[in-house]
Amino acid sequence: MPRLLLAAMLILAAAAPAAARPQQVVSINLCADQLLMRLADPQQIASLTYLARDKSMSNLADEARDFPVNRGLAEEVMRYEPDLVLAGRYTKRVTTDLLKRIGVNVLELDVPRTIEEVEAQIRLVGGALGQEARAEALVREIEGKRLAAEDGATPQRPTAVIYEPNGYTVGAGSLIDTLLSLSGLSNLAAERGMQNYGRLPLESLVTLSPDVLVIGTPRETPALATELVRHPVLSHMPRPMEIAAVPPRLWVCAGPEMFEAVAILRQAAAQARARP
Amino acid sequence: MTDTTFAPPRTEMSYRALLAGLSLAVLAAFILSLAIGYGWLDFGAALADVLSSRDSLSALVLTELRLPRALLGLFVGFALGLAGAVMQAFLRNPLAEPGIIGISGAAAFGAVLVFYSGLAAVSSLLLPVGGIAAALVAGFLLFAVAGRNASTSTLILAGIAVNSLAGALVSLVLNLSPNPFAATEIMFWLMGSFADRSLTHVAIALPPIATGCLALFATARALDALALGEDTAASLGFDLRVTRILLISGVALAVGGAVAVSGAIGFVGLVVPHLLRPLVAYRPSLLLAASALGGAALTLAADIAVRLLPTQPELKLGVVTAIIGAPFLFSLVWRLRGEMR
Repeated sequence: MPRLLLAAMLILAAAAPAAARPQQVVSINLCADQLLMRLADPQQIASLTYLARDKSMSNLADEARDFPVNRGLAEEVMRYEPDLVLAGRYTKRVTTDLLKRIGVNVLELDVPRTIEEVEAQIRLVGGALGQEARAEALVREIEGKRLAAEDGATPQRPTAVIYEPNGYTVGAGSLIDTLLSLSGLSNLAAERGMQNYGRLPLESLVTLSPDVLVIGTPRETPALATELVRHPVLSHMPRPMEIAAVPPRLWVCAGPEMFEAVAILRQAAAQARARP
Repeated sequence: MTDTTFAPPRTEMSYRALLAGLSLAVLAAFILSLAIGYGWLDFGAALADVLSSRDSLSALVLTELRLPRALLGLFVGFALGLAGAVMQAFLRNPLAEPGIIGISGAAAFGAVLVFYSGLAAVSSLLLPVGGIAAALVAGFLLFAVAGRNASTSTLILAGIAVNSLAGALVSLVLNLSPNPFAATEIMFWLMGSFADRSLTHVAIALPPIATGCLALFATARALDALALGEDTAASLGFDLRVTRILLISGVALAVGGAVAVSGAIGFVGLVVPHLLRPLVAYRPSLLLAASALGGAALTLAADIAVRLLPTQPELKLGVVTAIIGAPFLFSLVWRLRGEMR
């Protein structure tokens, strides 16, 4: 009898997530948008951010056209009467605080720094959405790609510096740093003791003279921030740098596309190694 | 109308000493600006590499990064100091200065329009053209509203109007740009900076700055005559309309060209002429060269300061000049408060 009860409870427990699946999910963060589209059933998604439709930032820009968009304002979010709101830990703080105060169920997502943290986050969101099976499948996909990438590791590691708009660079303790080392490159900024993000004056970049300079893909419209990589000094370096242009959408948010960035970097590393 | 009719020989001597002293200050600041930067650089070795045209990293840092910075500090500061001195003398207004009356702000708008619309990518020469055109429009507008005989407050109020409109339009253009980084760049255009500029920027800014400065220096004698009154100036054969055209076009070229590559740097044209005026026996024509050199020295010094202050990211130049200049402006307003009432 107790055994039967236990079996009945197990059956109930297995059925429970499906019943408790949130049906009106709103995302106010670009990375949460993409996780939501990958994991949830379309009818679970109430709204995404407008950034989800931006081809330069989002990997699922076309899919995002099927859903209403928001600008992350509390009033817009409330209109959907959400049973779950996905937000970033560091963005839209005012909206997030307001939503929590009025009792909305908000899941705040951290910025993952390692592939393990990426996988943990996928499982967390999958659990919240009642989509554990899809989360496991996505984790397996990422795990497979990671193993394939680690397979081709070579001992000789060319040096690299990431140069983001406004001269920002990425140091140790970030997902991008993890991907860089997975590509067989050694991150000079991390070696110099830089943590997370920091500004690297053009002068310091020239002095570091890395083998590979990792930049974003050029944008169509100008800004001083993105103009920096066109400074003539960079094309006059005595030892020319290998330029790797990584579209920002590949690694702005963690997803399977980050391994496309690894492939681009891996190619640049190979070219740097082949040079005399 | 020779110089000797105005100044006794003793002043002439001390004037030469003043110019020599200012030139030395500019030279010292210029060399310091080359020697100070981010990261360690053996200045002597780098200079030796440059002179023997060896391709070393330090030579590259010196010629492609520090030299454009120092040259821009020199030319932009020179133009701002000169423009301030000429405008204060011509308008007989101690608060006349390209920043305060809105010419710099307008030039920033012109340059922003050309840069963010992508026109500057077609030809970088269009960048100063945008700045100069907008500065010209603002100059004529200000002269139409508050000409030579306007009161200080009329000129300042017109300046506030031009400044706020220009600032709002800069913000509008930046927010309309599809590039997400554009909106954060208002600080550069309204506060100014020489960070990470290249020799290309020097090359496109220098011709208009040089032409504008020549036009401004050409007003020197007329300014002396005007100090004696408009009728006296007219009887001495100076055509006020010619002087006005020289002034507006000179300021538009010099300031428009400068702002297009470095953003609007305030207060240099205000502070420097006031500090130096007593040293040139209040002669407008003598003040021009002194003020131009003083402006270059102050701007170069401010640019050295922003590199020494440990801020992330680097402080904008206008922050330093405003911290020096705003209290100065305040003390001027204090002294003028009877007149302005």
